[in-house]
This record gives sequence, structure tokens and C-alpha cells, in this order.
Amino acid sequence: MTGMHHMLVHFPLGFWALATLMILVGALLPGRMADLSRAALLPVLILSLLGALAAIVTGFLIWPLAANTHSPLARNHILMALWSLGIFTMLTVLVWRAGAAAFDGARRWVLVLLALIGGLFFAAAGTLGGHLVGAPTLFSEVLGLMGWEVYTTFYSPLWVIAVMVLIGAACAALGLKGRRAAG
Amino acid sequence: MARHDKAVTPWLVLGLPAALGLAWVTQGSGVVGNDLERNIFIPDELTMPLQVQAAYNDEQIFFRYRWPAEQAHVYHDMLRYEDGEWIRHGNSRPGPDPDGTYEDRVAMLVDDGGVPEFGRYGGYITAGDRMRFFSDSASPAEVAEHPRLGQEMGKSDVRKYLPATRRDQNDWRSVEDAEVLAAQREAGYFLDLWHWRAGRSNPIGASDDQWVGEYRNSDAGTGPYTTNWDKDNDRPQWMLDPDQTGQRALRWEEVVSGEVDFDGTYYLSEDNRTAFDPDHDWQNGDVIPRRLLRTPEGSRGSIAVHGQARWEDGYWDVTLVRDLDTGSPLDDKILEDQGVYDVGIAVYRNATGSRWHYVSHPYSLGLGREADFQASAFTGSAPEWDDAWFDMTLFYPGQVDWPLLISQAHAGAEDIAQGTPVRARHSEEQLARYGVEMEFNDAITARWWMTLVAGLIAMLGVTLALLPGFRSTRQGDRS
Repeated sequence: MTGMHHMLVHFPLGFWALATLMILVGALLPGRMADLSRAALLPVLILSLLGALAAIVTGFLIWPLAANTHSPLARNHILMALWSLGIFTMLTVLVWRAGAAAFDGARRWVLVLLALIGGLFFAAAGTLGGHLVGAPTLFSEVLGLMGWEVYTTFYSPLWVIAVMVLIGAACAALGLKGRRAAG
Repeated sequence: MARHDKAVTPWLVLGLPAALGLAWVTQGSGVVGNDLERNIFIPDELTMPLQVQAAYNDEQIFFRYRWPAEQAHVYHDMLRYEDGEWIRHGNSRPGPDPDGTYEDRVAMLVDDGGVPEFGRYGGYITAGDRMRFFSDSASPAEVAEHPRLGQEMGKSDVRKYLPATRRDQNDWRSVEDAEVLAAQREAGYFLDLWHWRAGRSNPIGASDDQWVGEYRNSDAGTGPYTTNWDKDNDRPQWMLDPDQTGQRALRWEEVVSGEVDFDGTYYLSEDNRTAFDPDHDWQNGDVIPRRLLRTPEGSRGSIAVHGQARWEDGYWDVTLVRDLDTGSPLDDKILEDQGVYDVGIAVYRNATGSRWHYVSHPYSLGLGREADFQASAFTGSAPEWDDAWFDMTLFYPGQVDWPLLISQAHAGAEDIAQGTPVRARHSEEQLARYGVEMEFNDAITARWWMTLVAGLIAMLGVTLALLPGFRSTRQGDRS
């Protein structure tokens, strides 16, 4: 299953990198290239999610679950992969929902911000995957300069976990309120 | 109002970088910390350097070790007089001794190929099930009840042992029968252990000589120290000879000063002792070592200090010497010209003992043969040490044992089964950090899951917040 995972991860990584580029071009540049990027973004995002699901499923089959949850590197790889999936799922939903208006007004900055966060996460997921097969890259050192030593598990203090959940709950409440207000 | 909400909605996305950014800047905190009740103490430095040289002539082999240490810890196991009682300081404990009364040490495991896993995984293979000072260590009562370790050998803890000395890798109790253990030893299935101690052997120019089989055993003969305690009268058996040393005891202020005069009196030995005088007017703060140093004999006395092992300017410089062929093939690994051997070295410093050591990866040593590092051949009685040092990085190994490494909980278990060496997969820094994380594995795993899910909840919430602002507003789009 290791080889299958190595093959399949190219799809989400490739599509996510492409989607990030398309969002940056669509949001920041004028002209036909930007139009094409905006128009083709949704299919790319959908394909990225399909590829990610296949990659994640095969990834979980490489080692026993106990091995995944005992290894700091594997834990970090899983967290970054699932957070990448989360971010690009957000992008997919938002772009699908807004259609051709996804890049109108301040929305474009939402997409840019999410794409940059997603770019950081999938780059981290990819480099951690390289570590797991014995091929580390200099990007790990970049993460180290950003305060994260990748040989230690990424976990937060309880109060931060509570704040994250509260932010999510508060935002969800605002969203539901806004939906009701919009009728 | 609705227009205002519509303008604000996209900026709710900032909740996500706020949540994830907070997670990023605080990650890794809130779990790891010292917990002496669970035998957990995390050293400030997880790695340290060690320099090694080796040389041999026709008769002997010399190993020279040099490592940094803030100060020399040469006092170990001391008896301090206080209000009529002799109080013991410096026995094994989790983490550093608070008084600094725990000796520095260097220990080297040596193999000649009789224990093939050792050359691939080093000392990890000797860390078995429920070792002493692990959080789940076997209790003294459990060990005392064990037919071999407790009742026959008189032990009360589980120390280093080799995997094949147990029938079940997950059970320290499953010791092989005595006949099997004897056959393993005859076949060379044991590790030689050179064990230099700054307090309990160095002052008399000696080193301990041990071996690892079903336990960390001592070679035949007598070791470089014995216990200075009169159990019947609860007092030392011997004291410093005032005629020779000008004093009957050390002073506690000297012991805890962090300084040592290597040419002065800082130890008790057969050469400077006399019978304890209970009628002396002992003063609070008088200190008598609880260990009496004596010249080791037999196979256990095979290793000696060459020259003087001293701490100076922040470094220990220790040279040990031993006959290539000690004549004790059941206790020692016999070394020969053109031989290649495996060694793994550990250093204790900062007044720590037991499992609070820094260990090396396994390295091959060549006597005239290609290997990770070479012992230089020389003629004469002492090497010149002209060759460059071989630099090692030692690391704190934490609580990682062999049963874990070969279990389903280790992603590299299959690599071990296939014989892939640890050095091919893990750096020293990586192993040190993993070792620490394993001491808190359950808590870290739980916190990691919570962090992962909290991040996804934040993403879901922000998505719901953004959806009203991401309605299609163009003709022809979905509504």
C-alpha cells in the first residue's frame, strides 16, 4: 500500500498546488489567464478532493493505526493532511456556492487567504510524508524557523483547543443567523 | 443593516487564521513536564557530543573518551552526619541528584558479532520490558519473587537484558532456562560492558567490567568498590585514616561545592581508610563515602584507567585500557588485529544515573579493517593519539524499549524485522525527541486528536459563517 499511497498523493498535491495558483492568478491578475483560472477552479478543486480522499484512505492502510498514533511524524503528517483537506473543502464549497461571483469584491481575499493557509498545510503534509519514507527536505527547517520542530507532535494546550472550538461555534452561529436573516 | 452584514461576512474568514495561528504558536506546550512520581525527568539538553579515539598494540587496546560537562561529579553515595545519624546522599533516583552527589560515568557496550541486532540497533535491544526507572517499571516485590532474577540472583529490579534471554519479548519474567542462558553465553550471545565511574572506580585508576545477558551482570571476581556500612550499628564501617590524610571525614560544604581537587582526598579506599571511630566527636556536616574503593580482582578487574582521567576546563578526558585477550571469553569480548567490532557508548553527567544517560548509535570499530572508526595500531606501551577524534552525537533515549520497537505500535517494526539499521532511518536528534514524546504518549496522542478535531471544527464554523456572503449574485448562476 506504500507505493499506492506514494502514487495517489501526487493528485491532491498537484491539484491543490494548481488550485492555489489559479486562485492567486484569478484574484490578483487581470486578463484572459485570470478569467480561465476563475472559470476552471471548481473542477480542479473537486478533483483535488477526490484525489485527497483516495490518498488519505491508502495512507491509513500503510501502517497499523497504533503505529500511526505512536509516531510523532505520522501524527503530524495526518494532521496536516486532514487540515489541508479541510481547507480545500472550504474552498470547494465556497467557490461552488458563489459560482462566477466567487472572486467578486472581498470574496477574492477570502479565497486568497484560504489558499495560502492550505498551501502551507499541504506543503507541510508533503514534506512530512517525505520524512516518513526517509527523504527529508529543507522545508522541514523552514517549518522549524516558524517554530515547529517536526519531530515533535503538533498539539495545542487545552485552552487553545477550547478557543478554536469557540471560534468555530461563534462563526457557525453567525453564519446560521445570517442565513436566517437572508431568508 | 443587511448590507452592513454582507460587507462584514467575508472578513469572518479571519477567525480561521486566528484559530490556526494560535494553535501554531502554542503547539507542543501543555503536556511535557517533569513528573518524578512517574519516573519522568526531561534533561534540558537532549543531545551532547562525545569524541572517541582507539588504539592497540600487540597486547592491549586503549579507548579515549572526551566529553563536555559543566562540572565534575565525583562524589557518589555519601554518608553525612547530622544530629547523631548518618544520612545517605546520592543513591539512584529519577533525574539529577539535588546535592550533585552522583558520579559521572562512561559506559561502552562491545560486541564481536555474537549479538547481531546490537550492531544494527545498539543499546535499544537491551531495554526490555518494564525496566527500572521506566514509568511502568516492575516493582521490587515482583522481581524478588522471580525464581531466577529474585530468588536465585537476589535482584530487585529489571536491568539491561538481551532479547533472546526471554521467551516472550513482552514479559520480563519469561527468562530462559539456566541451561539455555549458559549455552547462549558460550555461543557469544552477550555484550561486554566497560563501565568507568568517576566516583566508584576512577580515584584508584580502575574501571568496572560487566556483561549483559539475562541481566546486567558483573564479570567474575571482585569489583572496584564495596559498601562502607555497618548494618548492625547504623554507621560507617570505615573512615578516612587521619594519620595518612589528616582528616577523618570530608565536609559537606566541599562535597556540594561543585569543585574537586583530584590530587587531594575526595574518596575512601583500602589505602586511606581505618576502622570507624564511634567515639570521635563527629560534627554535623562530616561526610564519609558509603563506598570503599578497592583494587578489583579477577575478570572484573580487566579494565584500568590509563594515565589519569581528569575533568579540566569543562571536559572529561578518560582513557581506558584492557588486554586484547583477557582470557575470559565468557565475560569479555576478545579483540584481535583485523577484527571488526560493534560499540555503543553512553555518558552520564550532571549528577544523573540509571536511564538518564546519553547514548550513541551503534558504530563499528576496526582493528586494521575498514569500519565506522579505526583503532590505530601502534608499537610501544602507550598511544600517541595522533589520529583525529571520531565524533559522535549522544542522545537522551527516553522511555523507548525493545518490545515497543518490534510491536505494531512502531512503524519501523517491519524494517527491524528486515534488518534495516537504526542509523539508516533515525538521527540522534529525532530519537531524542521521540524518546521524550514516548514518556507522554497517551497524553500527547489525546491532545493531538483534540487539536486536529478542533481545527476541523473551526474550519466548519468559518465555512458556515462565510456561506451567506458567498451566494451567487450574477444572472445565470445558481441561487
